[in-house]
Amino acid sequence: MAIWQEDQHPPATSSDRGFPEGKRPGEQPPSLVSPPVAGVASLLLPGLGQAMARQIQRGLLLLCSLVTAVALLVWRINLLAPHDVGAMAIFSKALKRRPLFVIPMLVGVVALWVWTAWDAYLQAQPGQRRGGTSIFVLVIALFFVLGWQISEINPYKFVTELSDAKGPLSRVMWPWGAAVTQETETTGAGADILSPCDDEPLPPLPEEIPGQPYVMADPTCGDLSTQDENLQPVPGTALTVIGRGFAPNTETQIWWVDPIGNDFRVRQAGEYFTTQTDDQGAFQIEVTMPYRNIPTSSVGRMIHRVEARQVAGVGAWRLSDVLLHNVEKMVETIVLGMMATIFGIILAVPISFLAARNLMAGSPVTMALYYLTRTILNIIRSIEPLIWAIVAIVVVGLGPFAGIIALTVHSIAALGKLYSEAIESIDPGPIEAIQATGATQLQTIMYAVVPQMIPPFVSFSIYRWDINVRMSTVIGLVGGGGIGFLLVQYIRLLDYRSAGIAVWFIAVTVAILDYVSADIRQRFV
Amino acid sequence: MLEVKNLTKIYDDGTVALRDVSFEVADGDFLIIIGLSGSGKSTLLRCINRLIEPTAGQIVWDEVDITMAEPTQLRETRRQIGMIFQQFNLVKRSTVLTNVLAGRLGYVNPWTSLLRFPAEDREMAMRVLERVGITDQAHKRADELSGGQQQRVGIARALMQEPRIILADEPVASLDPVLAHSILGDLERLNQEEGISILCSLHYLDLVQRYATRVIGLRDGQIVYRGTREDIRRMTDEEFKGIYGVEAERVGGGLEGTVGG
Repeated sequence: MAIWQEDQHPPATSSDRGFPEGKRPGEQPPSLVSPPVAGVASLLLPGLGQAMARQIQRGLLLLCSLVTAVALLVWRINLLAPHDVGAMAIFSKALKRRPLFVIPMLVGVVALWVWTAWDAYLQAQPGQRRGGTSIFVLVIALFFVLGWQISEINPYKFVTELSDAKGPLSRVMWPWGAAVTQETETTGAGADILSPCDDEPLPPLPEEIPGQPYVMADPTCGDLSTQDENLQPVPGTALTVIGRGFAPNTETQIWWVDPIGNDFRVRQAGEYFTTQTDDQGAFQIEVTMPYRNIPTSSVGRMIHRVEARQVAGVGAWRLSDVLLHNVEKMVETIVLGMMATIFGIILAVPISFLAARNLMAGSPVTMALYYLTRTILNIIRSIEPLIWAIVAIVVVGLGPFAGIIALTVHSIAALGKLYSEAIESIDPGPIEAIQATGATQLQTIMYAVVPQMIPPFVSFSIYRWDINVRMSTVIGLVGGGGIGFLLVQYIRLLDYRSAGIAVWFIAVTVAILDYVSADIRQRFV
Repeated sequence: MLEVKNLTKIYDDGTVALRDVSFEVADGDFLIIIGLSGSGKSTLLRCINRLIEPTAGQIVWDEVDITMAEPTQLRETRRQIGMIFQQFNLVKRSTVLTNVLAGRLGYVNPWTSLLRFPAEDREMAMRVLERVGITDQAHKRADELSGGQQQRVGIARALMQEPRIILADEPVASLDPVLAHSILGDLERLNQEEGISILCSLHYLDLVQRYATRVIGLRDGQIVYRGTREDIRRMTDEEFKGIYGVEAERVGGGLEGTVGG
């Protein structure tokens, strides 16, 4: 069938595609100086040669790179030798401390300088430009080495100290021991220890009552652990602690009670010191006397006490307070995110109309309003919710309300932008078609505009709810309510099990929400 | 009977889209407008139901000047004038049924229609869908349908208006040649069986001579050609260039003998 083809242009002939004489791509006006002059100029002042060869940007870039690299290098070298005076002393100290940083950097900087001169020589060659981008690989390599030093990257530390973190991490990963609790009953016995030893009579051995736990120590006097003048540890006297009459085959904790009555669990090699009673309920262990934690000003004869304690659970298991607190705060978090989202939607809808170009294009006044709205939204959006939370806390104090304000402000800005873009991308065709049926203005909005807006609005709103709940878990870190508030407290108390429960709650909630919101959004788009 | 008298449209930026255009569409006409893109075909069609406000001139529909109509009167006139579009202009995320029912908006109570349509309109919608042969698609989303089916939904929506004339703005330009024939065939049937006048803009000259009873050619907003189906078949190269410009070439030589091809 004969088809009229519009927009038929005559095919371009090959001669049209050529470039006019002397204007091939990559060909620039010739250099002002000869190649050797350019090279020498760049050797004196890096980048000068390139500038002479009419490559000003390239020259400036190389000059800035070199100057910055040298400046950063000088700064880091000074930091490496804080106590030395004089350039040579500082340099040799830095070289001694970090040879793998200083030597490659020096070589690199000199190499960059020479290469810059060579590059200027190449740039000044007539005709096609030579010397590509490989010089910038060296620049990037230099800044990589500097960056490594400045940001104190230390993979060795990461590997070697990972094992120390195993304890806390395992408690975070599997914290459920702290989820339940039980009433406990402590039984124990102790023996007095004199410190330091003197000529006065030693504290008497405790009396053994049959059927009751009994502990005796040998010797009954000694010195506490301490540090010498070089801050090296000096272990205290090793005591042989013998216990009898305890519950058999049970874990027994060793406690230390100082003269003013403070008690603490004895640690050895960083771990709490425990022992296991035998079939008869007896044990015998070596206990090194711990560090003193009474004021150094108190001197003289003091009676400490070593105790062995057994903790036995009695009564029924129940959910721990930690778990209940976490549940409570998790609910608060979800509600916080939800309320912020609802407020955000309510306030963002009217604002989004002001920020939609197609609606505001009518007159200069509305256009000005459009730009004003857009600018304010952009500024608000570029400030993190955490910062908004800090601002809100100043106004309304700590708690979930501050978090709601922070998330609402950010949601308005984010949703306002997304909504207005949804309005801008509306298809005018259906509007025209519905108007043509003789529909009223309101009917047109209802049948042509709303159906087009609802899916993106719903989708964006649910996505925002998802974001807000996720954000509300961290908004607590600064005091904005929610589970983050609890989490940061547990972490500061080094209570990794309770923190672990909070982390688990957050992870599970966010995962569920992620799935649900993705599912709902899929149905609407 | 639709009379367009001295219609002129000048856009705000000064573009003259229509200049002193006059013609009439008698009841039962199948009038096709040809012309290049930008010649003013779409503007002309949209001026007739005042989707675009004319700058000057009159549009007389049943002795009433539409250009002077008050909003209520305009809506009553609009509902007698069905319109279909090149891009179908369906609400893509609504169901086919909802799209078809929208054609009834000019008849129903403007307030209750915001929530739901009367039962008889829903029945009518199903009947209309049956007529265009897509009853089984009624509850699908409009964008799940193929192009040809979507244009049938567009026709169904226009039919819901019980129109006396249908304005068709390049109704087959987004469709393949086979579908183009099928859609225009539908329009021809409505024209012949129901006596609905058709005012349609088209690009394909062979379709023009197959379906038109009368033809007008627009160039730069002015009518440069008037003729019947037979006149198109006998169109000279001069007339052709008068419509499409001197650089235009008639693809495939003469048009005679390609009718219905």
